[in-house]
Amino acid sequence: MDLELILLNFPYFVAIILFSMGTLIVLTQPNLVKKVIGINIMETSIFLFFIAVGNMHGGVPPIYDPQFPDALYVNPLPSVLMLTGIVVSFSVTAFALALIVKLYIYYGTVCAPNFMKLK
Amino acid sequence: MDRVDLDTIKMLPFYCVIIPLIASFCMPVLARWKKEYCAPFTTAVTAAVFIITIIIGNHVIKGRAISYAVSGWRPPWGIEILVDPLSAVMMMLIAGISLCIMVYSFAAVKYELERIVSGWYYTAFLLCFSGMIGLVVSNDLFNMYVLIEITGISACALVAAKGTRLSTEAALKYLLLATVGSGFILFGIGFIYMITGHLNITFIAIELAQVRDQYPILIWTTLSFFVVGFGVKAALFPLHLWLPDAHSSAPSPSSAILSSLVVKVYIIAFVKILLIAFGLEIFHETFIRHLIIVLAVIAMLAGSFFAFVQIELKRRLAYSTVAQIGYVFLGIGLGTPWGLAAGMLHIVVHAFMKTCLFLCAGAIAYQTGRKKVNEFTGLGYLMPFTMGAFTISAFSMVGIPLFGGFISKYGLALGSLEADLPLLILVIILSGLLNATYYFPMIGQAYFSQDGDSNHGEHGSNEAQKKFKRDEIPLSMLIPIVVVALGVIYLGIFPGTILKFINQTVAVLL
Amino acid sequence: MHDYATRVVFRYMLLFVLLYGVYVVMHGHISPGGGFSGGMIIGLGLLLYILIFGQLWNMTFRRMILDSAIIFVGIGGILEVLKFIIPYEHGPIGVPGTLFSVGIISVSNFGIGILVASTILGVYYMISEEA
Repeated sequence: MDLELILLNFPYFVAIILFSMGTLIVLTQPNLVKKVIGINIMETSIFLFFIAVGNMHGGVPPIYDPQFPDALYVNPLPSVLMLTGIVVSFSVTAFALALIVKLYIYYGTVCAPNFMKLK
Repeated sequence: MDRVDLDTIKMLPFYCVIIPLIASFCMPVLARWKKEYCAPFTTAVTAAVFIITIIIGNHVIKGRAISYAVSGWRPPWGIEILVDPLSAVMMMLIAGISLCIMVYSFAAVKYELERIVSGWYYTAFLLCFSGMIGLVVSNDLFNMYVLIEITGISACALVAAKGTRLSTEAALKYLLLATVGSGFILFGIGFIYMITGHLNITFIAIELAQVRDQYPILIWTTLSFFVVGFGVKAALFPLHLWLPDAHSSAPSPSSAILSSLVVKVYIIAFVKILLIAFGLEIFHETFIRHLIIVLAVIAMLAGSFFAFVQIELKRRLAYSTVAQIGYVFLGIGLGTPWGLAAGMLHIVVHAFMKTCLFLCAGAIAYQTGRKKVNEFTGLGYLMPFTMGAFTISAFSMVGIPLFGGFISKYGLALGSLEADLPLLILVIILSGLLNATYYFPMIGQAYFSQDGDSNHGEHGSNEAQKKFKRDEIPLSMLIPIVVVALGVIYLGIFPGTILKFINQTVAVLL
Repeated sequence: MHDYATRVVFRYMLLFVLLYGVYVVMHGHISPGGGFSGGMIIGLGLLLYILIFGQLWNMTFRRMILDSAIIFVGIGGILEVLKFIIPYEHGPIGVPGTLFSVGIISVSNFGIGILVASTILGVYYMISEEA
């Protein structure tokens, strides 16, 4: 694999690295808020991946302009799908934070090892 | 009467998704206005959807799958709803079981939840319901992802509704792991979109068959992402960590709906993606089949072992779910007509059995406050209807003939013979025996135990206890338990009614 | 946050943040923008205001925000869902370069914007009331 190919496809590599980092953070960090941040990193990497899939070289944003009717547009569908993904990510974050607040009231800490044991 | 307008019937599956969704949006306002109307309204919506699903099932069984393009956008671009016989039977199952659980939760919600959250509870219930039905009928991958998230988040809300320390903790654990799972699923969908440029499953199947040889590694990656994602969601054994906590600490209607339906619809979605989108050739060429069989065998044995050592009743039932999920995945992994049909049948049977068991556990806790597996003494006489239903379901779980569980296990054994893996029959029998080791002691203690509560009473009271009394739970809790238990017996004696649906789909898939 | 610099800077920035939010809401159907993004900007601007200047609004107002969030989410959800029920009715296509040429959809963008903004504030208030 030569350097050219890697440079050409670097959004995919970044997406995979971010995804792995996010998953690692969710699974290993003891702090619950950091776990939620990990989930956000993970979802953001997926958004990046989708938008990289929709991109094409030399494309312009898909806004219809009467002056250039034959312009090469990038694929707008993944971006639109990711808008839904952002909403989902937002609601998951809000719900998780609400639960963390309740747990903080019960335990007085947001550190997981004190209570999140495997049973 | 057979002159049904085709367009009306095409819209019906769509209404099944939309009506609960609209009702769930109405629910918070209704809860703020008149709290006592929430439960009847939810029941009415669920019953209406159940009637619609029966009409759909009657239509689909004649061999005409329903395909509907939502809002008029044609399939390659728009969202398509496709109801094949398997989806139809799953819709009927979801609506029917939800109706039973809903009737049960009239009294149970008042007993187990605080009054202030009951309106939100029904909101989450309806959202979960509509998400599940949508997941079963949808034929579009991204739409499937959105519905997975709706189902997952509202299922977490159903767990967290109890508001105790344990249930909040379990809900957070469920939410974090489920989000990781759906992240994997979304990444897999991204890979599929990258390979084929489509999101509709039918078009993906056509496109993937052509370009399959160009992307061998990418298809492997995609499949592994889907297995991990749906494995977390459906609690396949090494990824089941969220399940026991979530099921045991939730209110009992929630644990029934989680265990019997929510976990299963993900399996249906997985089957759709695996067998329709990827197709049989990829299924047989890659080693995904062997991976699923190995994981399923581990799940069947380890889930039963874990269930054996639990003390708390609902926890034992939850680990039993892990084992039963193994059966379903085993049926998928076998990939033969009998195996797949038995796996799908086991989804139906297990939905009935596990609903009945969880509702019985809730009823026992309601009347006597007992939550441990070694406190069943005299329950057979104290609450005969509940314990009768419990016994029926436990027998079915073990796989005794005349009960539903026997048919699906027999089918799995036939399927493993078809797939030339006769050793699996040994595993199925071993797992059934393990089931017996942890269900029979409870039943034996309930009916035949002698030690009883005689230590704080005179000698004669032990004899007085041996009289059948009527259960002291409300009628709205008793009727669903009895109905579901009768359903288990019906499935054991006449499995053909369901198999007729399933075999039609299996004949198309394989 | 009792930092003097943030207070002074944001006092004058809030107006522009809200204006930008309204700008994004107004575009949406045939030009880049949309109800969700604009509503997010408006909601986050108000949220930043609350974070910097403290909980200035009293309890009644907060309850009102919560109730309106619930009702707006309800109405908005129902409208969003009803959009799908009528097949083959997609409304006018619109004229490129204009803002309000697409009938009901350009109005519904404002509804979505208010919905998203009130949802963000509602989520914040719900969490902060628990703690």
